[in-house]
Amino acid sequence: MSREAGGGRRRAADESGTDPVERGERPARDERPAERVRSGERPMRADPVVATVNLVKIYQNGGVPVPAVRGVDLRVERGEFVAIMGPSGSGKSTLVHMLGGLDPRTSGEIWLDGKRADTLGESAWALLRRKKIGFVFQFFNLVANMTVADNVELPALLAGASPREARERRERLLDALGLTGRADAAPAQLAGGEQQRVALARALANRPSLLLADEPTGNLDSRNTRDVLKLLGEVHRDGQTIIMVTHDARVASLADRVVSLLDGQIVDDGAVAAPRRRPKGTAGDVVELRG
Amino acid sequence: MSTVRASARWIRADLRARRGQAILTVLAVAGIVTALITSATLLEDGTNPWRRLFAQTKGAHVWIHTEDAPAVAALSRLPGVEQVAGPYRTAPVTLVLDGKKSPVALREAAVQPPRVAAPLVREGRWLRPGDAGGVVVERSFAQAVGLRVGGPFPVTALSGASHPLVVVGLADSADQGFYPEWTPGLAWTLPATLAAIEPAQGRSESVTGLRLSDGEDTLPAVHGAVTLLDEQVQRMSTWREVRASMELDNRLLGLLLALFGAAGLVAAALALANATGGRVLTQTRDIATLKSLGYTRGQVFAVLVTEHGALGLLGIALGLACGRLVTTFTLDGLPILPLSPVPLLAITGGTAAVVLVAVALPAWRGGRTPPIPAAPAAPPRGRLSRLARLALLVRLPPALVLGTRDAFTRRTPAVLSVVGLAVPMMMITIGLGCWATLDDFLRHPERVGQAAALTVHPGRLPADEAARLARADRDVAAVYPGAEVSALEPEQTRSVLARALGTSAEPYPFSVAEGRMFAARGEAVAGQGLLDLLGAEIGDRVRMTVGGTPLIVHIVGRVVEPEHDGEVLSLGIDSLAAKDAVPPQFYGLVLRQGADPEAVRARLLAASGEALEVRQAVNPAERLAVIRVVIVALTVVLALLALANLLTASALGLRDHALDLAVLKAMGLTPRQVAATLVTGTGLLVVLGVTAGTAVGASVVAGLIDLQGHTSGVGAGIGRTPSALTLATAAGTAIGAALLVAVIPARRAARAQVPVTAR
Ligand SMILES: Nc1ncnc2c1ncn2[C@@H]1O[C@H](COP(=O)(O)OP(=O)(O)OP(=O)(O)O)[C@@H](O)[C@H]1O
Ligand SMILES: [Mg+2]
Repeated sequence: MSREAGGGRRRAADESGTDPVERGERPARDERPAERVRSGERPMRADPVVATVNLVKIYQNGGVPVPAVRGVDLRVERGEFVAIMGPSGSGKSTLVHMLGGLDPRTSGEIWLDGKRADTLGESAWALLRRKKIGFVFQFFNLVANMTVADNVELPALLAGASPREARERRERLLDALGLTGRADAAPAQLAGGEQQRVALARALANRPSLLLADEPTGNLDSRNTRDVLKLLGEVHRDGQTIIMVTHDARVASLADRVVSLLDGQIVDDGAVAAPRRRPKGTAGDVVELRG
Repeated sequence: MSTVRASARWIRADLRARRGQAILTVLAVAGIVTALITSATLLEDGTNPWRRLFAQTKGAHVWIHTEDAPAVAALSRLPGVEQVAGPYRTAPVTLVLDGKKSPVALREAAVQPPRVAAPLVREGRWLRPGDAGGVVVERSFAQAVGLRVGGPFPVTALSGASHPLVVVGLADSADQGFYPEWTPGLAWTLPATLAAIEPAQGRSESVTGLRLSDGEDTLPAVHGAVTLLDEQVQRMSTWREVRASMELDNRLLGLLLALFGAAGLVAAALALANATGGRVLTQTRDIATLKSLGYTRGQVFAVLVTEHGALGLLGIALGLACGRLVTTFTLDGLPILPLSPVPLLAITGGTAAVVLVAVALPAWRGGRTPPIPAAPAAPPRGRLSRLARLALLVRLPPALVLGTRDAFTRRTPAVLSVVGLAVPMMMITIGLGCWATLDDFLRHPERVGQAAALTVHPGRLPADEAARLARADRDVAAVYPGAEVSALEPEQTRSVLARALGTSAEPYPFSVAEGRMFAARGEAVAGQGLLDLLGAEIGDRVRMTVGGTPLIVHIVGRVVEPEHDGEVLSLGIDSLAAKDAVPPQFYGLVLRQGADPEAVRARLLAASGEALEVRQAVNPAERLAVIRVVIVALTVVLALLALANLLTASALGLRDHALDLAVLKAMGLTPRQVAATLVTGTGLLVVLGVTAGTAVGASVVAGLIDLQGHTSGVGAGIGRTPSALTLATAAGTAIGAALLVAVIPARRAARAQVPVTAR
């Protein structure tokens, strides 16, 4: 099923690909993405936060092509919480990295907030990330030499906020995450779960339109997993769009929708398997469920 | 720039985390810049007080000593002459202070200082109308014989009458060089006082200074004066001789510093590149995180260059300040002109460029870090696995094996570390070689042509009597008759010194470096400087005018010649015309092994009733003593650089093994063995670097010094390699210190509870 859909889209991509100059240059300064999208024969109600068209990633491993993502079409609407699942090596991380511009795509399209993003250069992606994308990684990735406070203020400052603004935002976030007391601690002094919550605070500091999380609980024990998931649930309820990679079906059950990857292709995409146990897990449910 | 604030925080946090290393970097760069500035100042002649003195006193370019006062009007009409100083009547007197006699030229001076060549009063005051019995003494002379303002200045005139004068002031002058390089000492007094001390006109001379419009071109004025005054002229001096006599061996020192500075700069560049590169490697994950937060490649590059470059630039600024301080306050307390702006800018700009390039290369690599921080930055696999396996086969302790394997897992940093240690070590070895050479000068003065520790001038005694007295002393091994005359080289433009010492049959033991000693009349040996000046080679016959007599000189050898830039012709006294050779002007005294020249001098003076003039040879090494201070200072700077490299190497080693530590411990290694593993990894690099540096340094040092000797005219054949023991001690100390430094972080790491989570 996904193959057919992929084929159809590929043709569309080829057609629009006849005008590479326009396609390569315009998206960055295109003021009316909706129209462009429409002219690309894909009418839509409102701009999705993320849309990919036949996204492909092929790594070159010593001259041997390793296809990691093979034609993924994914559309995530504003406010959605999508979990991406799949066995190890199925291309989950690769996909998420491409969505955030950390890895350049081999072919296909990426649209963010209705603007073409895959044609952007490395620097343009970086600028885009500052405002629109928050990342949470498996290993927290806090800057080791900086205090918790500095870590959280970093993105705000990077996006051009004044130091006061950044501080206020940081205080609010750490407050909300229950980390106020640890503001001046070094990351190494925090427990894994605390570190991941700080990383989450940092990712949310600029109110990104998209939060990308690659196995955010992969390295945490159940207690910390519960804390982090509770937080994710809360920010989702506040309207945050989230794409989260996970191995854990119970973690995935928190999402609105689960996309399953296999060998770089989407094999299943749907709302959380109707009432797997309960209709829609809230943070509290998860706690019960895991406890 | 929105990233500025974020970047500033990152830099601040990073610097705080590696404060020691940062300070080390700053200090090392500062040391190098100080050395470069000092060397340039020395090479630029800024330490030669002549330049400043001449400008301040509005000095005269040519000084003419005549029997009677010359016609000033006629002199002032000579080509190029702008103003005339004097003529001043000058009488030779002897200062007798604490039984020590020093020759003095007592010169008349007006109360009103002259417009040309006015002495600069530094202490006390200038002469006043009522100052009968007051003198102003030239400062270097006053320092040498221990005169103070208000102190006595008892002089004996040629008539034998004593006069108790009083020092009223000390003044600097560019009229003549410093005492004792330039004798007699100079003192000024009122004309009336001078007339009272030396009433006989015939026993005094007249001194006239000519200030020229173009100081570079003294020849027309000199020729004109000689033609005009003819027989009247007793001697002449030009500013070049004055400047030369005021010169310390600045060039040698400057070159040494420049060599150290340049090599140090290379070492500093390596250290900086290594430190930056190492930092980038250890921070790969943090940099990737920054990128995932929205830093662009260029911004990461800019942050890294700013952080590491700023340290270098701070070092440069500090070095500029230190260089200024060093050149102003240390170097013998001489008044020094600061470096002129062009070389200053060149040094600043050059060092800044080197610093920025050294930092930019690793920073550029850092900028290219992929933005996926999850990708673990594991070290590449050990490349010495075969060696390690071999080590295991021969049952080496496991720590050694593991450490050996680890040393080269990262090839570029390892090579940088080795070279970064080798370069400072090479320079330290070269410094030790200079030290050994100086020691050799002192211990074997005969090897630098100073076999005669004393020279005896007959003074008031007949020459035969002087020779007899000298031979009679129990500690005198040999007495060589000598004479010094000027020799004109074939083109007749430069006069050089011709030194006759010993006879062709019994030549003075010059230190012959090439060819052979003269053995017949008409044969001579020359210093490297003279050979270069004449463009002659050993075996050539050169037509020269020696002491006014034309002579065809057969140059049969080259001697090590530390005086007059090596522009000295040495020959047997029998080669001179009789008028110059009989009687000999002086005798060179070679003493017995272990004799004390000072004691012999005292005995000779006593035996002759103070009639002889006995001088002690000044060993060139004594004038070069300041080089030792420089060597020590530079060794410290180089050690700092090496230390900076070492810290990088050990930090990188620790980082690469942070994960392995847990594994190693799990494998059953004790904390001590774990620490040993880490230290072995760093230590291997240290041993390689230090050994290579010492070897290279030892093999080039003698050649370098000889090269310097060659260009400075002294000639090759003076360079000494430090003794094997010294080298071994130096290398051992360096390795030992390095291992000690490496042990501290290694032990801490081995003790620490290692988290098993990923980095
Ligand atoms: N930098 C790379 N170079 C070459 N091949 C790569 C690279 N990164 C990933 N791959 C390959 O691409 C495929 C997909 O990798 P990816 O990391 O996206 O999988 P994943 O689904 O995230 O797996 P996991 O659940 O283990 O994290 C794998 O076969 C992997 O070996
Ligand atoms: Mg993954």
